[in-house]
Amino acid sequence: MEGTGTSFRKELVSKLLHLHFKDDKTRVSGDALLLTAELLKVFVVEAAIRSVRQAQAEDLACVDVDQLEKVLPQLLLDF
Amino acid sequence: EQQRFSYQQRLKAAVHYTVGRLCAEATQDSGVQLSKQTVAAIAEVTFRQCENFARDLEMFARHAKRSTINTEDVKLLARRSNSLLKYITEKNEEIAQFNTER
Repeated sequence: MEGTGTSFRKELVSKLLHLHFKDDKTRVSGDALLLTAELLKVFVVEAAIRSVRQAQAEDLACVDVDQLEKVLPQLLLDF
Repeated sequence: EQQRFSYQQRLKAAVHYTVGRLCAEATQDSGVQLSKQTVAAIAEVTFRQCENFARDLEMFARHAKRSTINTEDVKLLARRSNSLLKYITEKNEEIAQFNTER
């Protein structure tokens, strides 16, 4: 698993999740952390690729926030 | 309060760093570049999306009368899209296999 390209670090994912738990007793298993890191990675890559596709459809050479804004609603519905 | 804010800023910076690298990798072959603002916006969205993920995961675990979140809860998180669920299920099996090999 480790060393296969860029990914979110396990420790970071753990801290991000614990920031929002309502119950202090909530724990996360190690495998669940790795899987959540993978899910976050897919989320980011989807955001990037969908905005690139939007820019290409508009014949733009650089993706700006406008393109991200256009693809964001569907992205959030998919996650 | 101040401490919580600066802690959040540090986490955001860590997210931004990883998002930057992932975006660069993902767009490498397209010949199109993401502006700095776009990468920052994706980082911000990702940071906020973590709140939804965390709340849902906690609820799913509690629904099953557990206090520890496991991979089944994460799979539930990916239920909305079929292809996403399939990908996450495959990754889960990869992780499980990696663990038994060790």
